[in-house]
Amino acid sequence: MPSPGKIVGAVVTAPLQYMGQLVDPLLRRWQSWTGLNGMAAFFLAPNMLIFGVFVLIPMGMNIVYSMTSGNALFLKDREFVGGTHYKTLLDCQNYFDPQSCHQDLFWIAAGNTFQFVICQVALMIVVCMITALILNSEIRARSFWRAVFFFPVLLSPVVVGLIWKWILQRDGVLNAVLLDMGLEPINWLIERGWAFFAAITVSVWAHMGFYALILLAGLQAIPKDLYEAAEMDGTRHMRVFWRITLPLLMPNLLVVLVLSLIRAVQIFDEAFVLTGGGPGTATMFLTQYIYEVGFASILKNPGLAAAASILMGGVLIVLTLLQLGLTGRKDRAR
Amino acid sequence: MGQITLKDIRKSFGPVDVLKGIDLEIEQGEFLVFVGPSGCGKSTLLRMIAGLDKPTSGTVEINDVDVTQVSAADRGLAMVFQSYALYPHMTVRQNLAFGLQNTKMPKAEIDRRIADASTMLEIDGLLSRRPGQLSGGQRQRVAIGRAIVRDPTAFLLDEPLSNLDAELRVSMRAELSALHDRIKTTMIYVTHDQVEAMTMADRIVVLRGGHIEQVATPLDLFNKPANLFVAGFIGAPAMNLFSGSLENGQFLCDGRVLGTALRLQDGPGTLGIRPQHLILADGGALSGKIALVESLGIETVLHVDLSEGGNLIAVLPGQAAVKAGDQVAFDIPRDKRHLFDGQGQRVPV
Amino acid sequence: MSGLTALLSQTRGRDGWDWTDYFTFFWLGAGLLVMFGPAIWLVLSSLKTPAGLSEFPPTFLPYKAETIQVDGYDKPLPLYRVTTEEGVRDLAELRRVGTVAQMIDPEQPDERLRVNIADRTPIRKVGFAWENFIDPLFNSNFPTYLKNSVFVTVMATLITLLTNSMAAFALSKYQFTGRNTVMILILATLMVPLSVILVPLFSIISSVGLFDTLWGVILPTVATPTGVFMLRQYMLTIPDELLEAARMDHASEWQIYWRIVLPLTAPALAVLAIFSVVWRWNDFLWPLVVLSREEVYTLQVGLNAYAGELNVQWHFLLAMTVVTMVPVVLVFVFLQKFITTGIAGAGLK
Repeated sequence: MPSPGKIVGAVVTAPLQYMGQLVDPLLRRWQSWTGLNGMAAFFLAPNMLIFGVFVLIPMGMNIVYSMTSGNALFLKDREFVGGTHYKTLLDCQNYFDPQSCHQDLFWIAAGNTFQFVICQVALMIVVCMITALILNSEIRARSFWRAVFFFPVLLSPVVVGLIWKWILQRDGVLNAVLLDMGLEPINWLIERGWAFFAAITVSVWAHMGFYALILLAGLQAIPKDLYEAAEMDGTRHMRVFWRITLPLLMPNLLVVLVLSLIRAVQIFDEAFVLTGGGPGTATMFLTQYIYEVGFASILKNPGLAAAASILMGGVLIVLTLLQLGLTGRKDRAR
Repeated sequence: MGQITLKDIRKSFGPVDVLKGIDLEIEQGEFLVFVGPSGCGKSTLLRMIAGLDKPTSGTVEINDVDVTQVSAADRGLAMVFQSYALYPHMTVRQNLAFGLQNTKMPKAEIDRRIADASTMLEIDGLLSRRPGQLSGGQRQRVAIGRAIVRDPTAFLLDEPLSNLDAELRVSMRAELSALHDRIKTTMIYVTHDQVEAMTMADRIVVLRGGHIEQVATPLDLFNKPANLFVAGFIGAPAMNLFSGSLENGQFLCDGRVLGTALRLQDGPGTLGIRPQHLILADGGALSGKIALVESLGIETVLHVDLSEGGNLIAVLPGQAAVKAGDQVAFDIPRDKRHLFDGQGQRVPV
Repeated sequence: MSGLTALLSQTRGRDGWDWTDYFTFFWLGAGLLVMFGPAIWLVLSSLKTPAGLSEFPPTFLPYKAETIQVDGYDKPLPLYRVTTEEGVRDLAELRRVGTVAQMIDPEQPDERLRVNIADRTPIRKVGFAWENFIDPLFNSNFPTYLKNSVFVTVMATLITLLTNSMAAFALSKYQFTGRNTVMILILATLMVPLSVILVPLFSIISSVGLFDTLWGVILPTVATPTGVFMLRQYMLTIPDELLEAARMDHASEWQIYWRIVLPLTAPALAVLAIFSVVWRWNDFLWPLVVLSREEVYTLQVGLNAYAGELNVQWHFLLAMTVVTMVPVVLVFVFLQKFITTGIAGAGLK
């Protein structure tokens, strides 16, 4: 009597094997015709075709788009204007005052994104570090607790946004709790400062499990005998953390830092659903600006959106190179 | 039929020449062993024969048909890999059947062949297991079985025993020899272990640096090494070699006369004597102090620092009553010495 | 302070409870509440009636008004606890006019009473408003969104697995000129997020006629560099000897990929499949841009549209959010270990 697992396995694999057999004669002919290189080309083709059409070509086209104007979608209908869009975007009397800029919304979004990135990444690192240290200590049911903190990572940003919108609204459960504790209710999503704070906390909530996991993997990779050796030497706890744990965790910490930076710069989904960029423009971030200017607003301006996206892409490339540089240095040090 | 002819096989990987012109005739039904130090090109040569690599130049002929451009699958050979390369996700039966199914063989014939091979190799109880559930020796048998069911023109075996422990290796060696005696198919066997080569081969091919150094039967190789390399490579411990010069029929080394009455041309040369052939004798040509004694029970190995400089290894039968620090002297029996000329080639004594 | 330092160096004091133990328990307890709490609150809320939802402060569990079937009336009538001069009675409401309600005693259905609504409270019991889930299934576009999301997720994941594994096979098991260029090209795009190429990608999708179609959502996402990279790293660990053995076994290159390499890559494929399902199910920005007709909305876009309506029907919205969450929660519950080890191991670098 075969086990149920085996039956399921056979049910899944039998048609797959049959499908493989079906195309085999055709591909054998192709192989005898073109040799191993032809087969390599055959295996690469589908992925590279999709990749080329939907990633590589758009990357090149984006630059062209950023130099054309009008609200026509196709390039042939668009007028070449050179660097005008960049000039418009960067046209500012005072770069610290968005109101003085030609595209004040862009600078507000940029400023918001900058503040968001700084606060969110700082909070993220601290929270993840504490969580990872606790998960790495001698606790029972570690995999359960790891799962607890990881859970929100899988939720869709829309679901995350809606859950928190429901909790944070004026008549929401959080305000009920505050009232119960004798505190004043807060208009979480309507007051500028609180809305910004909510965007930060919610995105930390949603993603911290992922980064805590990376840090935890790093902590678990530190050989236990190092701690035992330190204990034999009578090293003080604080010193053990600064001199053993932290340096050995540095590669993972760098990965977390840069990945969370890159992700924070692109913040869109959950904030968009949670606050819609509001109140006013308090939580309007760069990706939303690109989306609004390019697609959502009445006066669509794809050229301007493309130019803004290239500026943002520039920042991301700098951050990525930073990561490559840092990890490269780490590899050399080894 | 299983006759393979290699004609001037050369292979380079970029600027590195791995094989520098190999000519070889492999007879139908013989057990041929490629042996040599690592990096000598023996595995590469086997892969050329298999068709897994194409030679840079030269031809491979099987039964007088040029197969140089024929793919591995169509040469009718079977290979046993060092790591066995059993498909881990298939049962033993599926492993054996895979190659046969690919040639569209009727199912009844496949079943018959698997039954025959598995009985012969005593793996019939393992057919529904996966490779992961087998011991090293069992995997080895399955790997050989996978080759046997193909009924190939020749078997190619790439260091098949190197992953087994010492005891198992000895018994598998005997089994492989027995298998060859039984099926009488050409076998080409690659190893770096000279004991394997000596015990199993009909003929041994000694390779070094992409060249064939010597092709001979095991005993010829031991008794008449064609050059200094083969002399040093075959036999354990290695042959003692003394470089010196021939003058008026005498071999001189560091002022000692190690051989006389040699009918040879004058010039530089090397004299070799196997450790087992040295005879303990007071006043012998080679004298020195024992540095180390290794008593193996059945024999005694002496490491000797020679008085005139240099050192020597001697193997005495039984349990010799010597100890480190003793002064000893050895005689070189006339019929056991090997002589090599200035180019390192053997010269008949 | 010693507590904190002990925590930081993770060699917590084993004698008795100290500060770090309390902090650990606080952190884990708060974590449990903060991480699971919102989702549980969402589920509880989604089972409340609109009246229950508009209550402030909200009740923890969903309640429903108790009703009673009274002879002579078609519909069940809501029950209230009424305080009158004679004492407390349970009455059923017929209708309400202003602040006065017409009520009857279920025991004596003929007698009609007029009650001020201030004198009565509804009798409630814990009850789930399943209609929040059932109604949208029949009276809204929700089933269409669900169907679209399932289609996008399944198709995108299948194509991702096939194309990525084929590319990874070529990049890990073949030597060809330009291999490194292709690899670098793929890796370089890891740093180009969708939001940066939104505009041209949209124009390409439009010009090939995929605007407002589900294939327009699927195709740009399937050539994931992460997937290719992850699978390639895994395939590099499959020994080449296995492929060579298959070649000797008459297997074509396609068979080697389909019958040998793919089954052996199953663990990595499973991780990629899980990731891909979660990614595609959760995708928002790109579908938001490509899809403009309600018939092709995916769940995420549909939910966002509902939430953006002037008069948000929270009871439906919350129920649909729960449904959207279900597959991901299932993945989480059953495959959590797979994912976490996948991220900690190969998935990341």
